[in-house]
Amino acid sequence: MNAPARISRRLGASGTANALELRGVSKLFGALVALEDIDITVRPGERRAVLGSNGAGKTTLFNCITGDFRASAGSIRFFGEDISTFPPHERIRRGLRRTYQISLLFAGLSVLDNIYLACVGVSRRRFSFLRPRRDDSLMAAAGELVEMVHLDADRDTLVSNLSYGQQRQLEIAMALSGAPRFILFDEPAAGLSPSERGDLVEILNGLPAHMGYIIIEHDMDVALRVAESVTMMHNGRIFREGKPAEIEQDPEVQALYLGGGDG
Amino acid sequence: MALADNRLASDGRDRPTWFERVPPAYWVGGFLLLVMPSFASDFILFQIFGWTFILGIIALSLMFLAGYGGMVSLAQMTFAGCAGYMVAIFGTSAITDISLGWPWFVAIPLALIVAVLLGTLTGWLAVRTEGIYTIMITLAIAAAFFYFTRQNYVIFNGFSGFNGVLPPQLFGVDWRGSTAFYYLTLFWAALCYFAVLYISRAPFGLALQGIRDNQRRMSALGFNAIAHRVAAYAFAALLAGIGGILLTWQSAQISPGTAGIGAAIDILVVAVIGGLRHPIGAFIGAFIYVILKTFALDALEAIGLAGERFQLLIGLGFLLIVFWSPDGVLGLWARWRESRSRDPLLERGGERP
Amino acid sequence: MRGVIDRHPFWSAVIFVVAAVLVWMIFAVWPDWLKDLIGRKKVFLNALFNGVTLGGLYFLVASGFTLIFGLMRNVNLAHGSLYLLGGYVGYVAAEVTGLWLLAFPVAFILVAAFGILLQFFVFRRMEGQDLRQTLVTIGISIVMADLMLWIWGGDFYNITPPEWLSGPMTTFFVTTVKRSGDLVFLKYPLVRIVIFAASVVVGIGMWLLLNRTRIGMLIRAGVDDRDMLSATGARIQLVFVGVFAFGAGLAGVAGVVGGTFQSLAPGEDVRFLLASLVVVIVGGMGSIPGAALGALIIGLAEQFGSVYFPTYAVVLTFLIMVAVLAFRPQGLMGRS
Ligand SMILES: Nc1ncnc2c1ncn2[C@@H]1O[C@H](COP(=O)(O)OP(=O)(O)OP(=O)(O)O)[C@@H](O)[C@H]1O
Ligand SMILES: [Mg+2]
Repeated sequence: MNAPARISRRLGASGTANALELRGVSKLFGALVALEDIDITVRPGERRAVLGSNGAGKTTLFNCITGDFRASAGSIRFFGEDISTFPPHERIRRGLRRTYQISLLFAGLSVLDNIYLACVGVSRRRFSFLRPRRDDSLMAAAGELVEMVHLDADRDTLVSNLSYGQQRQLEIAMALSGAPRFILFDEPAAGLSPSERGDLVEILNGLPAHMGYIIIEHDMDVALRVAESVTMMHNGRIFREGKPAEIEQDPEVQALYLGGGDG
Repeated sequence: MALADNRLASDGRDRPTWFERVPPAYWVGGFLLLVMPSFASDFILFQIFGWTFILGIIALSLMFLAGYGGMVSLAQMTFAGCAGYMVAIFGTSAITDISLGWPWFVAIPLALIVAVLLGTLTGWLAVRTEGIYTIMITLAIAAAFFYFTRQNYVIFNGFSGFNGVLPPQLFGVDWRGSTAFYYLTLFWAALCYFAVLYISRAPFGLALQGIRDNQRRMSALGFNAIAHRVAAYAFAALLAGIGGILLTWQSAQISPGTAGIGAAIDILVVAVIGGLRHPIGAFIGAFIYVILKTFALDALEAIGLAGERFQLLIGLGFLLIVFWSPDGVLGLWARWRESRSRDPLLERGGERP
Repeated sequence: MRGVIDRHPFWSAVIFVVAAVLVWMIFAVWPDWLKDLIGRKKVFLNALFNGVTLGGLYFLVASGFTLIFGLMRNVNLAHGSLYLLGGYVGYVAAEVTGLWLLAFPVAFILVAAFGILLQFFVFRRMEGQDLRQTLVTIGISIVMADLMLWIWGGDFYNITPPEWLSGPMTTFFVTTVKRSGDLVFLKYPLVRIVIFAASVVVGIGMWLLLNRTRIGMLIRAGVDDRDMLSATGARIQLVFVGVFAFGAGLAGVAGVVGGTFQSLAPGEDVRFLLASLVVVIVGGMGSIPGAALGALIIGLAEQFGSVYFPTYAVVLTFLIMVAVLAFRPQGLMGRS
């Protein structure tokens, strides 16, 4: 069965379910309450921005969704399936993807190899003892992703020799490997130059319509260009939720954002 | 250790034929090894090189786990010993009460399967904990195997083990003859060596190295780190099992001491002295160890020490290596090359921009 | 305590029943059917006492190991060699002076000094490099083993306790009833009882030191929070050296004990290293109560094993280890 068919079967099986549904999710680090009673619902294909000041718990929210950390309480449903107790790799194999705020890449591998590894991880060839052949389909898919994030010129460059912006782009390409159904972007635009930001917005807006995502973004301008709804977090709680225009107008949000955030 | 020089994707395009990619040193080394029997004595073929290849294979299995997987296992000799015992038990030996006498094409695969099962079980236990715990747990498992074989007389024939365990007379060749045995061990050593090299750049090996470097990231790419590690143990046990069977044939016997704690540590010493960075290190380490073990006696006596001080020599050598060159002889070699290529005018030569 | 019972009612009940049966078996005069089933009570009691006292010895060795690991994350695979070195040194001290008691301080001080050297020249240079530390200590134990073999040869050595300790002591445990109606009491070597009592005192002392003093608080804080260590700066280095010396010295003392209980010979270093490993794996790395529990379990398993199923006695201890690893990888008293 080829990849698209598999996706559509999965979509069909849970076509009416929400892409992501968090109920009462909390996360404690010892005495520190990093997340408290979070409820979030994201429809399939929806694109959501998460805003919030430093330490609001945005990254922790991602970590709980992907299973990097086990949530202290609450349930997480992904396309209708309760994944709260799944280990990270099981969640990823179900079509969830993420990028990291601080790039986690394999510095000793080339750009193409990093993406190839990402493609292998969600394929059945994870355990293959055979090296990729010349006409390898995963390698071809990795090559397409390289072009998508404009790294063609550097496809054989070692990651350690890439610029910061290129590393951020590579992170995104790795999150797009396989057939993602939903992606979590953790501040992909942070530290990028204005032109690189433009590229990023273009990539995000060019994703297929069924591919929803949540993007953490301090920069309102970027957030508003790539998201159709906004969630504001503050001190581990959800503070406001709504259309970008509403959120922007909200006096309390403005007070908070001008007062505490850096965005 | 970062994922080192794995440019597999680069091989994907415009790669030269495999013939061109083999470095000249391989051609020379390979040729020398192939024609060795025409000028080397039986002792050198059987005792020095046969033993080097065998130890090298077992150390290679440790190199695979430690170098690519970051898991230092002291149980590799146990897997080897297990396979050795199994050929004695399933196949033929002088202990006819216990040995089942099955033909080699049943006994050998069965022996390897049992060794792999033991390796998988050990891996399953060891990967539940991390880092230094692995060494302790595998050491404890190695000790358990040793004591078990020593005390069990029904299956393992206790203290004395099995003698008269001989390779099958395939194609009418006496495979324990020095030349035949040399080629036999050379063949398996080369096969294991190239298999490890090949797999290191296949998805399985790449993933293993990724897990070594950053397990969390690999999980977030969909890899099941635990399963990968256990599978690595299974594969390493297969390699060790091959080495173990050859080892049993070489000495025609197997007993608890073959897989004792001292032997387990020796494998670690061999692998570390050679260097865990590259599969060839296992064989370099094995060669040094065998040479030392064979000739140290005379050398020590020549300088007025009792020959028994061999352990002291090995221990001190090992200490020096881990103190000064954690990458073993390979590391020393790399450093030497670097210092040679350093430009005396620009102090910082050798580094890439 | 209440909390534990509430959380695990079933296991609490099981432990309670087992303990009750054990107490009955220790104090009651055995009925004939039980004798027919598992043999004489004297054998059972001896195995029990041997197991408990062996556990005391294992505790002495393993507690130093676990203390050093807990505080500094240093895996000292030369710990068994420290044990054997302490034994030999104590033997020499006792032979030369004729004073058994003197063997202990001499072994403690010398081995502790050796431990300080180790800490200084090996572990401090390789801070945080677990694997290298492990490899180096393996190398050191290979070298030490051969040096000790060189000096003391392959013979067995026994450290003889003084007159007043060497006889058997009549305990108040009844082994059987004579036909005449007289009670027969168990006789047990006094020296083992004394040494066991001493190791209990050492254990309690360590626990008090760790839990009731400022130094102990510093050490425990270091165990709990590695980052705090760097914050507290230079003083902690002194604590490191102190803990290392103490742990090593304890291994040396254990060597004297082992030489008195059993004997000293090449290979005992590996045996006690393994015992320490298994004890701390079972009990939980870095935990003193865990080391005590693990040592007791392993000591008992070894002794009961050798009495009731001699062929597989050693394997029994490893089976316990495997079971613990499978169901509670962090060890019985370890924290995950
Ligand atoms: N592994 C951890 N252990 C302990 N505390 C943590 C851990 N990870 C995060 N925290 C704490 O949880 C809180 C939320 O952190 P988080 O990284 O989720 O914030 P954030 O919203 O992503 O902030 P930023 O905008 O700076 O990325 C912070 O107070 C942080 O110190
Ligand atoms: Mg963050």
